[in-house]
Amino acid sequence: MHSTIRPNAWVALKLPSGITKVIQITPNTTISLGKYGSFPANLIIGRPYHLTFELQDKLPNENFSRLRVVPTSELYAEVFADEASPSCSTPAVGASDSIISIADGEEFSLVDDKGNVVARSNREVIDDSARQTLTQDEIEELKRDGSNAGKDVIAKLLLSHTALDQKTSFSLAKYKLLKTKKYIRRFQVLPIDVASFAQWQLEERDANKILDMRAEMIGLVGCWGNVHFAGEDVLLRDPNAAMDQGEEALLPVPQEPLRGRWLVVDDTCGLLVAAMAERMGVLYPEESEDAASGKTEGQNGESVDQAQQHPHRPKDSGEVANEVSKDNGDTEMVEADAVPSASKTDWKPKQKPRPSDFAIPYSQTNTITVLHGASQANLSLLNYWGFDITSPNHPPHPLLNHLMTLTWLQLLKPELDSSYSTPPPTASAETLASWKPSRRGNFHRKRRRFARIRHIVDTTRAGNFSGLVCASTMDPISILKHTLPLLAGGAPIAIYSPTVEPLAALADCFSVARRTAWLSGDVPEIADLSVEELERWPGNERFPLNPTLVQGTSIQTSRARHWQVLPGRTHPLMTERGGPDGFVFTGWRAKPAEGKVAAKGKFKRRKVGSEGTENSSMRAEVGVE
Amino acid sequence: MAATKDKISPFLDPGPCTKPNSLAILQLSRDNLLPVYLQVPSGEHDGYAEGAVVNTRFGSFPHSTMLGVPWGSQIRASKVDTGSRGRKRKREMTDDPGREGTGASGREPEDLAGAANGDSVVAVKQAVADSSGFIHILPPTPELWTTSLPHRTQVVYTPDYSYILHRIRARPGSVLIEAGAGSGSFTHASVRAVYNGYPTDGQPKGKVFSFEFHEQRYHKMKQEIADHGLEGIVQLTHRDVYNGGFLVDGKSPEADAVFLDLPAPWEALPHLSRRKPQTSRDTSDPTTEAGWVSPLNPQKSVYICTFSPCIEQVTRTVSAMRRLGWVDIDMVEVSNRKLHVSRERIGLNLSSDRGVNNSPRDVEEAIARLAEIESRFREHAGQPRRADDNRDSEEEEDQPAKKDDFGAKRDVNFAEDQSSSSTPPWMEGRLITRGEPEIKSHTSYLVFAVLPREWTEEDEAAAAAMYPCGMEQKVIGTVDKAARKQERREQLQQVQKGNRKARRKERDAKLAEVSG
Repeated sequence: MHSTIRPNAWVALKLPSGITKVIQITPNTTISLGKYGSFPANLIIGRPYHLTFELQDKLPNENFSRLRVVPTSELYAEVFADEASPSCSTPAVGASDSIISIADGEEFSLVDDKGNVVARSNREVIDDSARQTLTQDEIEELKRDGSNAGKDVIAKLLLSHTALDQKTSFSLAKYKLLKTKKYIRRFQVLPIDVASFAQWQLEERDANKILDMRAEMIGLVGCWGNVHFAGEDVLLRDPNAAMDQGEEALLPVPQEPLRGRWLVVDDTCGLLVAAMAERMGVLYPEESEDAASGKTEGQNGESVDQAQQHPHRPKDSGEVANEVSKDNGDTEMVEADAVPSASKTDWKPKQKPRPSDFAIPYSQTNTITVLHGASQANLSLLNYWGFDITSPNHPPHPLLNHLMTLTWLQLLKPELDSSYSTPPPTASAETLASWKPSRRGNFHRKRRRFARIRHIVDTTRAGNFSGLVCASTMDPISILKHTLPLLAGGAPIAIYSPTVEPLAALADCFSVARRTAWLSGDVPEIADLSVEELERWPGNERFPLNPTLVQGTSIQTSRARHWQVLPGRTHPLMTERGGPDGFVFTGWRAKPAEGKVAAKGKFKRRKVGSEGTENSSMRAEVGVE
Repeated sequence: MAATKDKISPFLDPGPCTKPNSLAILQLSRDNLLPVYLQVPSGEHDGYAEGAVVNTRFGSFPHSTMLGVPWGSQIRASKVDTGSRGRKRKREMTDDPGREGTGASGREPEDLAGAANGDSVVAVKQAVADSSGFIHILPPTPELWTTSLPHRTQVVYTPDYSYILHRIRARPGSVLIEAGAGSGSFTHASVRAVYNGYPTDGQPKGKVFSFEFHEQRYHKMKQEIADHGLEGIVQLTHRDVYNGGFLVDGKSPEADAVFLDLPAPWEALPHLSRRKPQTSRDTSDPTTEAGWVSPLNPQKSVYICTFSPCIEQVTRTVSAMRRLGWVDIDMVEVSNRKLHVSRERIGLNLSSDRGVNNSPRDVEEAIARLAEIESRFREHAGQPRRADDNRDSEEEEDQPAKKDDFGAKRDVNFAEDQSSSSTPPWMEGRLITRGEPEIKSHTSYLVFAVLPREWTEEDEAAAAAMYPCGMEQKVIGTVDKAARKQERREQLQQVQKGNRKARRKERDAKLAEVSG
């Protein structure tokens, strides 16, 4: 994450009204904040995040508003005044110049005849709009030539309110807050990270799109899924397959079981993938151009060293690829596809040789594998972090080497998928040279695509994933039916659902009674199955899933309640977002022991001679869990 | 027991199988977890012939049966002689020369040989599987550790820490300050969040700087960090941060995020400033403005979270934060609920299992039963009355017959129902969820805030020189309707003009702009 606002970065502008605007900061443009005014984008580029800016009045010789950083002493001036006044009774009337208040010496009847403060009852409060003597036109007039960042308007509005003296201190504070929100010309710039983006998408955009996933749920799913950085990238060597070699030249799936890979089913348009990528450290590009920071320069130098140590690396993650693209630019990359690799190396001797078509760009660890139901994975929200899954010649981004996608068809019936089963085209070097560049480009693209799909599908089918994380509209039972065999022993499972019913149905598949019945040996259909066959249990009506494959099932929900903290006025917020609560199912992939396993414990029998099922279910309740 | 430094913590990469001298979590039942450091059996251990043994109410589990197995494995209990061990010990205590006696009393000959060899490793008795009892063995994760760790203080549980870490942007590579290590649950969760490799040759890596005031807790925590292979990525310091601040060896940790689980966060907050705070508690502090070092990362906005159970603490903390320049102050309280899934089995003709409510399922069933009783009553009333004198005896005869009749009918019903639908008992009834019997209704109040990086006149001048304004070409953000329409028109024309390839190129160029 950058420490300052970069050109063309996506940022969130927080306005006084509480509205957040997410925009891309294009240099040399004017950013308009609607009624709060507009300012040149260059005035915030290169500045730090989280500062509060105030739009200043236009200077006589300039046609734009300059910005002023509002010090926090000014932001909190009213609260400080509150705290300073011993009784905390008059929030508005206070001390310093920075507080918007009516001219000094003005007295308000918030005190009674004897000078004691009265907290008035609501009985005397009269409808606000009736008591404002300024007309709408006058207010508009004030706003137009309003100076001092809207503070004058607010002060005048307060002054011309006839019933101001009848307001209780609380309603006066509220009235002022209301007017401040409306007229003060301030804003704050926040970085677009997963937390702030998700909140914006949830509260101001389309919550449905991200399945109403609140921050609490993103945190829970990430933690219970044990999603974390899983080690330095491990890249496979380039097979250097010749152009006339087909399938046989493909790299075999590594024999050693792969580690640090997470399986994802994401119907939140990529928010879940972004959250996981953030946790794994592959969401944000390296801060390469932040020249101001000595720390990052060191990191950059380090990465170059690394690249030199591993010259065989086909394409390094993020940082090194970054450099390459700086050398030759994107447009050249596009053309480069069409140029045979031999001539390419001569053409740019400084550059490392281009990887062959069958080189696998993906890291073998610290990866996310997305399973999707449509022919293309919908990860559109990743655009906000500069990653577009549909772009074929993507500029460097860490997700390129760490994000793999495949369809359910490719996972379960790869032979039916043409991109998996069609063998790659082959051609001799001479024929290749005789082709038009566009045809050559196509030829290489097809071969590369084939190698990548083969790699993704084969490694996914090999299983041994470190965890499963889901936020899907599909039935979780059907998802687990096909993904449970792919999980390594002890791998955590975290499934998010906006509603509890699908998760309850899933948890019921692992109910104690069902597991006990499964283990009791009374299930004829599983009698002769081997452990492997049981792991890939296709499911039937009575046992949709093998109930022994998941341990420690649990469903939970969390809600963060927000509070207002002000001197003497601390309470929970009156309204919060409703809608789906959001639930998380958690569990661990178990490796059941071979053969019959009985639970231990003292089994009390209520009735002598009761039926077998009762007996066994009681046993389980006492003994197993 | 201690993990060597070159080994990756089992929390971060447990590997495919259980390893000796490494932490494993035994799952006895769903919420009953037991952390165990697995040991290679080397001769008799604590009186057990099998080496170290874990005894639970689900059986005895020698470590040898749990080593080198894939994580998640179900482990069968073993037949372990727990009885004679106790006896032997007692006897040893009472009279020493009675050794031969214990050997004869019940231990197998191979054991005796092992004891005689003394140091030989082969002497470990092979564990024999028991007929019943099992547990599962799980790789350690901060979540499992949080539920199974030895409590020293109030624990920060998963619902809280997952939310906190998300909000304070603890990511791989972040440097995090944690004050009040306590029982270490937050430490484990946060080190997982910031981990991006162990530091080698001075390369900056994600790290947790943890501070603990209590000396005994500090030593236990220190041991735990070593045992869990977290040395190098967790740096624990024994200090009172109210007075001592957050510098480690006089140097700044350059923290990006801060978590304070202290009784008085406002006492520690002045140390977490960009510059020496004016309102420092002791003005007689010898360190001058120039010598003062901020523990925060000077390049970035710093996120903070404080964790306090009482509202008064929150008020003071928030007040201190406002004065010290923190912005975006937000106070929340996380409430978490666990749900139990069960089947609610109500109905007259369900099996009489435990947990079945044998009352009518719906109005129809109630009416059917009432009607049945009514008809039977009528049947009975319709029978001609007999003489008064033998009425009592008659009824005595009648009653049991009636009962039998009803019972039989019900059984028939039940049997019919069973045969027609053949629903197994675990699929009967309605699927319901309900809360757990006791909920944690309040853990603590969480106060979040952000401290922007310092921005001086010089910085502003440099930025202004780098990005001069006055060359604005178009308006972005909120634009009026006319401008929006015009933009759309232009866009449409462009799309018509360019072919697919050109559009793709354009999009790539745009992406490059964003990332580059």
